[in-house]
Amino acid sequence: MNSEASTAASKHVTLVYLLIAILSLCGLADAIYLTIEHITGQSVRCTIIAGCSEVLSSSYAVVAGYPLASIGALAYFGVFSLAILALFGYRIAGALLTPLVLGMCLVSLWLIYLQAFVIHAFCQFCLISAAVTFALTGLVLVRWRMK
Amino acid sequence: MAVTYSDHLRQRSPRRLSDNPSDYMKRILPFIIILLVLGVAVGSAYYLKRSATEVHPVGPSTNGVAPTTAPITASTGAVPGAEPAHTLGPIGAPVHLEEFGDFECPPCGLLHPILVEMHREFGDRLQITFREFPLVPAHQHAMAAASAAEAAGLQGKFWEMHDLLYENQKAWHEAFDVRPIFEGYAKQIGLDVGQFTRDINSEAVAQRIFLDGKRGHSLNVKGTPTVFLNGREVPFESLPAEKLRVLINTELSGGR
Repeated sequence: MNSEASTAASKHVTLVYLLIAILSLCGLADAIYLTIEHITGQSVRCTIIAGCSEVLSSSYAVVAGYPLASIGALAYFGVFSLAILALFGYRIAGALLTPLVLGMCLVSLWLIYLQAFVIHAFCQFCLISAAVTFALTGLVLVRWRMK
Repeated sequence: MAVTYSDHLRQRSPRRLSDNPSDYMKRILPFIIILLVLGVAVGSAYYLKRSATEVHPVGPSTNGVAPTTAPITASTGAVPGAEPAHTLGPIGAPVHLEEFGDFECPPCGLLHPILVEMHREFGDRLQITFREFPLVPAHQHAMAAASAAEAAGLQGKFWEMHDLLYENQKAWHEAFDVRPIFEGYAKQIGLDVGQFTRDINSEAVAQRIFLDGKRGHSLNVKGTPTVFLNGREVPFESLPAEKLRVLINTELSGGR
């Protein structure tokens, strides 16, 4: 009976880590796209469809000379790596995943605040990234409750 | 307590994991997956960057030979745009820079002083052409601004209005009604304001903006500012003054 419960829990944990890994890949793709747009200056150009990106051309889009999106890409890659390692039994990776994702969630909240109340404009791909981070936060909290 | 995937593997296997000959593979498998994803991520980033910065030739580089818009049109099927075009610098200049701009676009406003600098620096060796490319509906006053510049052009003062519109972009960008502001500019540069007001809504002005836009679309212009140097699109990242200067000098030295 205990063995059955343990196997079911194991399946749930595996599923949660798999979902975290898949979601972080979506976030990574989004962040890479934003980074390249920033580096090549495409995000600064005005287009017929999207207008001008006031968010990506603002001073908040750069941290210490690096595009904020590139830091996001590193964070998503970190989440993916930790989720994969946790999936294969590296317990320390699972432990590190929670603070990393919670930190990303706080940064996302701050960035949404900036877009809404400081820049007064929203960036579609930044909102996608925030949505991915919030979903990751939900999964990390679910995993935390499984302990 | 919840168990992980490897715990699950241990439970399923009759042998201890450490005794399993594939144990080593299972330990390194996550690292292989991580490295694979890293490789794909770096590869796609490189591909995206390369695609974004690829120079799109719209015609043969004239490599120092006086360019006109005619060869580009003939070789690529691009339509000519409004004639006569608004140009600075002589027609026979060895380098021809063609800008597709929108007066309400902030990056175009940033490019404006750079092009003024290039015009001063290169003088007769550089011809600059401005093409209207108002981004409607993204910019609510873009069409009105383009019309104001073209209406001023009908009285021979396109560049004066062009400069005022860019230099005061922030002032009129957020205004509800830009007409009195543009009429003020018209008065400032000595236009017949009554004529200017009539011309703004004229067929001639609308036709010029339409033809420039048509040329832009035929050259695959999707945003502003888009700049062509001797018929080749300049990547947006090369538009800062120091980079643009290098590109113009390269064209002057015959493209080498």
